[in-house]
Amino acid sequence: MHRAKYVIPVLFALAALLGITGWWIYRAAQPIELALYFHPFVGPEPLVLNESRYPNPGGEGRFKVRDFQFFLSNIRLTGRTGVYTEPDSYHLVRFDGAEPAFGIVLHDVPRRDYQRIEFGIGVDAAANKSLAQRGDLDPNGRMAWTWEVGYKFVLFEGTLVRGDASVPLVYHVGFDENYKLVSTELRDEPVERRSARLDFRVDILRLFQGSATVDMAALPDVKFDRTDAALLARNFAAMITSMRADAP
Amino acid sequence: MAALIATLLAALATGGCDSRHRAATPLSGFSTPFVFGRFQVPADNPLTKESVELGRRLFYDPRLSATGAVSCSTCHIQRLAFTDGRVTSVGVAGKPMAFNSMSLANLMWGPQHFFWNGRAATLEEQALIPIQHPDEMAQDLGRLVAALSTDASYREMFETAYGEVSAAAIARALASFERTLVSSNSRYDQFLRGEITLNPQEELGRKLFMAHPDVKVSLRGANCIDCHSQFLTGGFSARYDGFSNNGLDDEEHLQPGLQAVTGNPAHRGLFKVPSLRNISLTAPYMHDGRFKTLEEVLDHYDSGIRNSSTLSSLIVEADNRGAAAAGRISLNLTATEKAAIMAFLRTLTDQDFVSAEQFSDPFARK
Repeated sequence: MHRAKYVIPVLFALAALLGITGWWIYRAAQPIELALYFHPFVGPEPLVLNESRYPNPGGEGRFKVRDFQFFLSNIRLTGRTGVYTEPDSYHLVRFDGAEPAFGIVLHDVPRRDYQRIEFGIGVDAAANKSLAQRGDLDPNGRMAWTWEVGYKFVLFEGTLVRGDASVPLVYHVGFDENYKLVSTELRDEPVERRSARLDFRVDILRLFQGSATVDMAALPDVKFDRTDAALLARNFAAMITSMRADAP
Repeated sequence: MAALIATLLAALATGGCDSRHRAATPLSGFSTPFVFGRFQVPADNPLTKESVELGRRLFYDPRLSATGAVSCSTCHIQRLAFTDGRVTSVGVAGKPMAFNSMSLANLMWGPQHFFWNGRAATLEEQALIPIQHPDEMAQDLGRLVAALSTDASYREMFETAYGEVSAAAIARALASFERTLVSSNSRYDQFLRGEITLNPQEELGRKLFMAHPDVKVSLRGANCIDCHSQFLTGGFSARYDGFSNNGLDDEEHLQPGLQAVTGNPAHRGLFKVPSLRNISLTAPYMHDGRFKTLEEVLDHYDSGIRNSSTLSSLIVEADNRGAAAAGRISLNLTATEKAAIMAFLRTLTDQDFVSAEQFSDPFARK
């Protein structure tokens, strides 16, 4: 009967082991919530709407931003053990001045060791041809041109002020060929916790400064000209960067 | 044991319906065009046969006003696509008010902010405001509920639809009726469904309507689409995208508009972009009814725009001669193009909508 004195501690140890394992398995199976925040900047400065404070990148005068919106599509997380793809992943990112950043929350993301996040700026060709309302896509919305043309991917409206002259600025960039993929490494990002957040910088100035520098007086509007649209699209391909990555 | 279960089941079966009102029946046969897109009905006010019927009755009942002479339908007349033909509406006070009566059609799409300045967030909220406004219907809600409660047929309708006669039930019923006011059988709708083709003039007008001009690629346009969505022809639904300063007034005369609701100075002079469905029936035009004819409206957009700090860059920049930076704001459309746009706008008239029995005065057929 002397062995009886071991029974209780052994049972305790077993229960604890089961408990810990169970909790570990349970935790690993729990989906996480991942929040993506997009912070608007014009160069080094956070965006301030409706103030002509930003120098024309390629010429004289200062410009103001009245509206800036763009589609961010097909968010994907990739890791060694699997891929997460957000369903109906079409987000209209917009900066109306009400909030300092635009947030997208991904729910029910399987907990994995993700290494990259990918998304598109614009709308992929299949969705661009469709009238289906998926995510924020809306054929009766401001970003729709017409069903024959598809969606505006990036919308910038503002004014360039040069001395006494005010030049209206209208940059509506769309067309299938201008859909741009952004891929960022998730090094050191805490994506294994129950909820995690990633912060991105959206630099509106990159639309006009990058592979080509734009003089807004010479090119005050871009709409349906394919060459001009492609030029701005090459620029906006680089407008979103991880804020952690570019921290000093 | 079986007896006990049977008793419990019987109790459950009656228990669900033993409250004061019988269950209302979901509205059947209600469908909307795919191209109009999604719509939402509040979870606490589903569309039912009874709520819509009650709402229709209330809409046409002058007892909703203090004088017993004014109903919703006084300013929203079906044959005029639920407008009143006046520059600005006249209610119990007998004096013209500040705003033009807005057409009631396809209200579940477009900006879910009601009135010209967007001050009501739901149709339910909107419905009670004119009833109580001293110049419109000047009714006291308590008195109205008491008056309707003395009417046996109203009592029964309210009980079936909402369980009781109350101000909230009046608002919900009116909102339900308004949600069913769907206009979707104009020639444009028939064209969208592939049932008809537009004639060449209408087709030119449609193309101009749907295009922002771009001289660089020789695209002529009237930039209507910049504010009026392609299928609904109304304002955009996201946030305040469906509000615009359309150049009616210069800086000095700019009215508060949406700014009165949001407090945002960038929203000064912005008003709700209305649906253009049945537009040839809804004269006079604009939030203050200042234009008598559609021709005047078109002339305004072509060459009458007044500049101000909140005027959209899209309007300033839109010019079919590519001279936007050179001073005067003008679309520079030709007479042929203007006539084509007029022809297209006339394809938005829906005779079925303005004559449909289910939207008409239920008191008229006795």
